[in-house]
Amino acid sequence: MDADAATGKATETVTPTVWTPSREDLMRAQDRRVVNVARLARRPFWLLLLLAGPGILVMLGENDGPSMLSYATTGANYGIGFFVPFICLTFLMAFVVQEMTVRIGVATRRGHAELIFDRFGPFWGYFSMIDLVIGNVLTLITEFIAIRAGAAYFGIPATVALSVGLLIVLVALSTRRYFTWERFALVLSLGNLLFVPAALFAHPDPAAVLHALATWSPIAGGVNATFVMLMLANVGATVTPWMIFFQQSAVVDKGLTRNDIPQGRLDTGLGATFAAVAAIATVIACTPLFMHHVDAARLSGGTDFASALRPFIGNAGAALFALGIIEAGLVAAMTISTSSAYAFSEVMRCGHSLNLDFSSGSPFYMFAAGSAVLAALLVLSPHAPLLAITLTVNVIATLLMAPALLFVLLLANDREIMADLANRWRSNLAGGLIIVMIALMGSAYGLITLFPSLLPK
Amino acid sequence: MNEFSADVGLQEAHDHALQSCSPLPRRKLSFGILVLLWLLRIYVVLAVPLVVYSFFRSLRLGQ
Repeated sequence: MDADAATGKATETVTPTVWTPSREDLMRAQDRRVVNVARLARRPFWLLLLLAGPGILVMLGENDGPSMLSYATTGANYGIGFFVPFICLTFLMAFVVQEMTVRIGVATRRGHAELIFDRFGPFWGYFSMIDLVIGNVLTLITEFIAIRAGAAYFGIPATVALSVGLLIVLVALSTRRYFTWERFALVLSLGNLLFVPAALFAHPDPAAVLHALATWSPIAGGVNATFVMLMLANVGATVTPWMIFFQQSAVVDKGLTRNDIPQGRLDTGLGATFAAVAAIATVIACTPLFMHHVDAARLSGGTDFASALRPFIGNAGAALFALGIIEAGLVAAMTISTSSAYAFSEVMRCGHSLNLDFSSGSPFYMFAAGSAVLAALLVLSPHAPLLAITLTVNVIATLLMAPALLFVLLLANDREIMADLANRWRSNLAGGLIIVMIALMGSAYGLITLFPSLLPK
Repeated sequence: MNEFSADVGLQEAHDHALQSCSPLPRRKLSFGILVLLWLLRIYVVLAVPLVVYSFFRSLRLGQ
């Protein structure tokens, strides 16, 4: 307030408000400039390379330690047969769900947690965030268990393996640049395809793979309790709540616009394809265990599987398998910790971007780093109830998948915010059917895990 | 700073972090969605104790 010299009255000094772009704006603008140049130069492949990221990361991130072990158990129990095409179907379902998050992110410029909070109120906002964060922290623990197990195959001590894993997660976060973080994670995530050469060492019969894809058979031993459990576990290994939250927030953080939707879809489709190939390769790599009647119930971790496979796929194949398990845990640790940080910061109205500097994004970075550190420390702790955590993770993810999926469908149909990007009847029919199916199968899996007696032997 | 400022103009206006900070209004919920959300509340009320039970059951298994 200044005093007016003539009247003596206090007057307000009007300072013109000048918009100062934040670091987040500037970094994103740099990325967008390169995208615009590629688009103007009509270089579609280069454009795709620039815009790809969230979809591939989310799909390969979901091929995490526990998921790969789930596929390995499938291969060891059933070999090449029904589950090869079934895995393709589950990734097709994942694509349909994840494609909606691309459109929601582009249309609203908001993350999933933030959008639920704004549109459906604090109860559902906090519920979604707390549910996600608890599930994610427990899942992170299983990722570090996978890193430890894979490293143990090479004789690397747990402390070293976990410290290096944690360091990689923290170094990626410390770049304070979405694009760098994403490229770093993308390069690592391609390691998921290590399961492909591992599968080749198993010398699979291409005719058997094609026959399985065409006929959805054989189902060794017929439909029984193990078959149903593995079917449900494979669905649980393909679509989980963190994927929805992560991809929508990453699409926003990357700054994708309406023009980028085709590339966003392609990115998600490529991710689903790569992930399905890696998952099927894992089933194939473990088929020798089925052929030689190795009891899969004895095998629980990455080291067990790699050691059991060594006589059949050789040292190189087993080493690739163990490396793949380490990679699966590592990439998932990066994406899941970031997904928690996005959801927490969105609901708490703090800055939520990997382009933020440490001072303005401190809650975001602290949450991402803190959850990873906590998970790694718990895995190192001799008294941590790791078995209980591993078993509970599946139950949380599957039982609480229904609310997450329902909100995706409700938001994708919210024409006030989605306008012409809202779901049309075809996507509603496909999305609705998939959501009902995943929710029912997920809930069934959760209940059967809790009450195994529900399933007839 | 200046060399990037021009780039910022290339972005859609709502891309800017400051603008996306403003919350969206609450959605007017139709009767159908209200029923759906109440069903979801009931589901959650049933699911949460199951998760807690699962954890303590697994704890016992681990001992």
